[in-house]
Amino acid sequence: MKNKLKVQRAMHDFTQADVADRIGVTRQSINAIEKGKYVPSTVLALKIAKLFNESVENIFTLEEND
Amino acid sequence: MKEMGKSYLLPNKYKVVGWILFVLGICGGAVMYITDFDAMEFLSIKVMTIYSDPILGKPSFFKVIDNGVFDELVAVLLIVGGFLVGFSKEKIEDEFIYKLRKDSLVWALIVNYSILLIAILFVYDVPFMHVLMINMFTPLLFFVIRFSVLKSKYLRHEE
Repeated sequence: MKNKLKVQRAMHDFTQADVADRIGVTRQSINAIEKGKYVPSTVLALKIAKLFNESVENIFTLEEND
Repeated sequence: MKEMGKSYLLPNKYKVVGWILFVLGICGGAVMYITDFDAMEFLSIKVMTIYSDPILGKPSFFKVIDNGVFDELVAVLLIVGGFLVGFSKEKIEDEFIYKLRKDSLVWALIVNYSILLIAILFVYDVPFMHVLMINMFTPLLFFVIRFSVLKSKYLRHEE
């Protein structure tokens, strides 16, 4: 799964810590998701999408091998 | 939404207590090795045994014997301390941290039993007794170390 979390973060001028604080998760989570090391739960994906006022599909998309 | 699978973790405040006990336990263990296990005779008191079978004398159930409890104290510190460190919530506990904790546990068990297998095949006699003694605590030790390493690893590299 790919994600545009980093792009969205840059557009809103948020640091990883800003995003983490606003959603109530650790900075490790945001860091790992951005690097593609962790696929968030549906709940967390929805929370991230809500923060950026986007739909989940605009931030998280499937890859060929998924 | 209800957070799942975290019910058996202790509150975050126990983490500090855990580290204190765990480090005291490690120091106690070091003292045992430095004193060539004479420290095992420290703090001799009467203890209740479920079953005892001394080198001289007959085996018996529920007997009160004299025993230096320094080594028991060290073992309790290591186990209780290790559990409190590994199974207390982080300041912010989320699904990713929970995954790191589980991954660390699996990693620790694989590493621990790999080392034990090698020791079973290639270490004998008194050195193997040392392996058995230390191996009582290494699953927790490896777990705690791996968990700490993973947590700090994912804190780095913010671009």
